[in-house]
Amino acid sequence: MTTAAPPAGPPPAASTIEARLALDRQRRLRSGGGLAIGAAVLVAVQIALSSLGGFPESLVIPLSDWIDDARRWVIDNQTSHWSFSFFFNPVSDSIDWGLRAVEGFLLWLPWYVVAGATAMIATAVLRLRAGLLAAVGVLYFGAIGLWEESLQTVALMTVAVAIAVAIGVPVGIASARYDRLQQSLRPLLDAMQTLPAFVYLIPVVLLFGVARVPAIIATVVYALPPVIRLTSLGIRAVPAVTVEAAEMFGATPRQTLRKVQFPLAMPSVLTGINQTIMMALSIVVIAALIGAGGLGQVVLVSLRGLFVGRALEAGLAIVVLAVIMDRVTHGAAGIGGRRRLRLMPDALAHVGPVRSVEGTLSAVDRLLLRAGSLLAEPLSRKLDMAAVERHPRKVLGAALLAVGTVIGAAIGRSDFPAGISFSFAPAIDWLVDWVRDNLYEIGGTWVGTGWFSDSITIYAVTPLRELFSAELAWPVVVLAVALAGWRLGGVPLAAFCTACAAGLGFLGMWELSMDTLAQVIVAVAMAILCGIPLGVLAARNDRFERMLKPVLDFLQTIPSFVLLVPVIIMFNVGRIPGIIASVLYALPAATRLTNLGIRQVEGEATEASRAFGATRGQTLRKVQLPLAAPSIIAGINQTVMLVLAMVVIAGLVGGGGLGLETVKGLRRTDSVGSGFVAGLAIVLLAMLLDRLLQAWTRRFTPVESGP
Amino acid sequence: MGADVGDDAGRDDAGRDGTGAAAPLVCTEITKIFGEDLGAAEALLAEGASRQDVQERTGCLVAVRDVTFSVERGEIFVVMGLSGSGKSTLIRCLSRLIEPTSGTVEIDGTPIGDLDDEGLRELRRSRLSMVFQHFGLFPHRKVIDNVAFGLEIQGAAKADRYRRALQVLEVVGLQDWIDHFPQQLSGGMQQRVGLARALCVEPEILFFDEPFSALDPLIRRDMQDELLSLQAGMRRTLVFITHDFHEALKLGDRIAIMKDGEFVQVGTPEQIVSAPADEYVREFTEDAPKTKVITVGSVMRPVDGETPAGEPVSLTAVLDDVLPQLLASPEALCVADDQGEVVGTVDRDRVAALLGEGSRAGAAPGDGPLEPR
Ligand SMILES: Nc1ncnc2c1ncn2[C@@H]1O[C@H](COP(=O)(O)OP(=O)(O)OP(=O)(O)O)[C@@H](O)[C@H]1O
Ligand SMILES: [Mg+2]
Repeated sequence: MTTAAPPAGPPPAASTIEARLALDRQRRLRSGGGLAIGAAVLVAVQIALSSLGGFPESLVIPLSDWIDDARRWVIDNQTSHWSFSFFFNPVSDSIDWGLRAVEGFLLWLPWYVVAGATAMIATAVLRLRAGLLAAVGVLYFGAIGLWEESLQTVALMTVAVAIAVAIGVPVGIASARYDRLQQSLRPLLDAMQTLPAFVYLIPVVLLFGVARVPAIIATVVYALPPVIRLTSLGIRAVPAVTVEAAEMFGATPRQTLRKVQFPLAMPSVLTGINQTIMMALSIVVIAALIGAGGLGQVVLVSLRGLFVGRALEAGLAIVVLAVIMDRVTHGAAGIGGRRRLRLMPDALAHVGPVRSVEGTLSAVDRLLLRAGSLLAEPLSRKLDMAAVERHPRKVLGAALLAVGTVIGAAIGRSDFPAGISFSFAPAIDWLVDWVRDNLYEIGGTWVGTGWFSDSITIYAVTPLRELFSAELAWPVVVLAVALAGWRLGGVPLAAFCTACAAGLGFLGMWELSMDTLAQVIVAVAMAILCGIPLGVLAARNDRFERMLKPVLDFLQTIPSFVLLVPVIIMFNVGRIPGIIASVLYALPAATRLTNLGIRQVEGEATEASRAFGATRGQTLRKVQLPLAAPSIIAGINQTVMLVLAMVVIAGLVGGGGLGLETVKGLRRTDSVGSGFVAGLAIVLLAMLLDRLLQAWTRRFTPVESGP
Repeated sequence: MGADVGDDAGRDDAGRDGTGAAAPLVCTEITKIFGEDLGAAEALLAEGASRQDVQERTGCLVAVRDVTFSVERGEIFVVMGLSGSGKSTLIRCLSRLIEPTSGTVEIDGTPIGDLDDEGLRELRRSRLSMVFQHFGLFPHRKVIDNVAFGLEIQGAAKADRYRRALQVLEVVGLQDWIDHFPQQLSGGMQQRVGLARALCVEPEILFFDEPFSALDPLIRRDMQDELLSLQAGMRRTLVFITHDFHEALKLGDRIAIMKDGEFVQVGTPEQIVSAPADEYVREFTEDAPKTKVITVGSVMRPVDGETPAGEPVSLTAVLDDVLPQLLASPEALCVADDQGEVVGTVDRDRVAALLGEGSRAGAAPGDGPLEPR
């Protein structure tokens, strides 16, 4: 820089500023240069290898043949080999026995007892309004003629969740106690939560075949991580002094766990169970692919036959089930649930008629309470259990249900009455036709859903797929991924990314993977373009946030597959509905985390910026968005993983790509091998994307913060 | 050095035990170091390195260093010190909630370091109890179940433990709150629950880590009085941590002043007040009510020949008690011991000199005429 000696030269401050600016320029040049060099290398390699194109057949490892051999071996040895007769078969048999028992019991119960019990449980943990709505929901199962299928699904859920809890809670407790276990479990759990549900199906099918038991096993595996994680988290969150206090009184480790740690961890454990239930429900339809039956089966079969209306009816039943289970377990997780006899929204509580209705309600409730007490008192004396006396409502409820059951058994009619029935499938089917006839090209112009999906296909998905799978030489793609890995995470990540990307080729899944990748990229771009602005808006406008919340909640509760159905109504089958559904599926993550990130920016930082006279736009750009960056990037990360999960599922309804190949493997025994390989390719793709994104997220969060 | 004073005082007091029975709580050279490289840190300490040195060279934190003391049955042993001086760490070492890095703790002659898990649990169940600085209540249990926890662990029947818990809750004035959860109580009330929980099991040895810090002055005084009267009846062995010098003077049979993990001085309240070992201790004693602590005996001039006439004052009376007489009489008062024999005289000038002492900065301890016997 300046050559002048310090005393005669410009003031030192100025020279340091000069140096600073120069350094800044240099740094920017270097990073820009790095990108440019990387691009140049890629272009050069592409030109040199332009004849190469997709991955050559000759390099493919015949893994799928090996898998087919293994499958054949399994089939041949199922009856003779010791591992089957002493492990797999007994496990499978006992699960089957449990499932039959639960299902048999549920179907034996009179329908009104099922509805009543659901209503009572929901009322007990939430409030009367929730109870009534739950009863309506249960009646809906019967009304659309899917009573049996719904209870089958409930039974399957019950068994799967029971197994998941029976495994997950002890493992969680152990991993709270032993750091070593926790550390070795973490990457496994991370991986389990990253992978799309799909990939669990094939290994299970390999070992257990297609039936309800393998479906349960796949569900258990998929739904297991939250219970383990949250049990461990809850126990570890108990303050050290509290544990010390117990120890100080000479409590044994077991007593400390039973009397102090576990009760305190209970809310966390229940949250984990809630999440496990929701995850289990979210793969009801997918599990139907390997023979879970129930509602999922109805959705699948209807969609295959393009009976969209029926699919929506069954899908809605799954949503209803999900909402009931979610709300009820949520209510149960909140300590000391409020019991309220409100039917109407709180805002209306003061309106005259509402008040009188609710007055009557509480009078009825008092009456019930009296009746309950009358029952409970002698009962508690007889059983010598004071606890019974304290819950007159529960005693009364149980008594009513028991009487109902006895009557049902006596008259021998527990089926849902055929008289109560309704169906909106025809209306939906009509709507599908109408949409196809009228919205495809609205009023004969080019505007319409047809134009929308065509342009996404023509201008985005197809060119990208062609680019990746045919025009670019495969080493260029691998190299590009490796360079990205190197920039974000150094040599180890670069090596990992290279291995994953090349692995896609060696598995013989290059073209299908690139197809899936192209769809993912398009869907992610759309999700981000919609999600982040929505998040920003929500962060800046409380009213908008409140309006958005139920929509996002709803989108997050709907099992992924069910989300496809309404999209199919609009866009028919093909790649585009898959992409749209992925966008909808992933939107809540991007929006939520953007909103959260901006709102978490401390009030003082925002105020300070405003105090300097920054406009709202400036404050957003210079203070809020940069400070919210870690959260937003975490949102993008989640968006990508959710989109991948959905795009894969959409393979079933014409999305093609890896998803379709996997499903083929499930449907036809002769292509189990290639299905397995496609599943493996999904795993590779998911891990590749996840690691890259994690590294990117970490760059924005210098201090590692726990989940 | 201060550490020497502490050591001497500790040994003195251990020797004071004339009955021959071992003190219920004896701690010898307890050291606790937090960190990774404990070996290196211990080696440095053995060479006499300072706490800062150890921290800089090994990254380890010396929380307690070479602390030796014993507590007699019926005695209240108070530990004072600034924040971070290692008091809580020390008291945790006494029950092995924290494993001391070195040193031994003997309870009734048994080194507790040798106990296995079951033995330690048995000891804690039957003999020890503790009030935690940050309460350590069980948030999921009602007040009564918190208090009854110790008995529950011991396997007592529900009715018995509730009866006992209720008794103790009455002592701390919370009998109307038994069905509340801890979070529904104020900080001071929570602290009293912690106190009741510790007292409920009727332990022989009690560890109190700032048990009254969150109480308002009135309840605090009640609790102190309550503790003293309980102590008069039961003669338990108490280790009591506090920040409040007034409290230390009121409760403590002996007081240990702790600084940077070491005992700087151990002595009776009177010894500490009248002869602070160094500047650090002096600062604690600065605004102590000296006349309530210092006895006539320690300021009197031994008899030399003739004695003044008049009603003698007692050797063991604190100055506060004799001030009216002293101020009313221009002459020196005579001092008599328990047998009524006149042993010395005390006059206004000597007392005035003592009271001025505190404000006279830089006065070296023990160089005046006021050295204790
Ligand atoms: N578990 C621990 N790990 C590491 N350092 C600790 C641990 N517990 C305490 N320390 C350190 O030991 C020192 C003494 O802490 P301690 O809690 O004993 O202080 P204290 O005298 O009780 O203070 P206060 O009056 O504020 O309660 C502190 O510097 C603290 O940081
Ligand atoms: Mg402390």
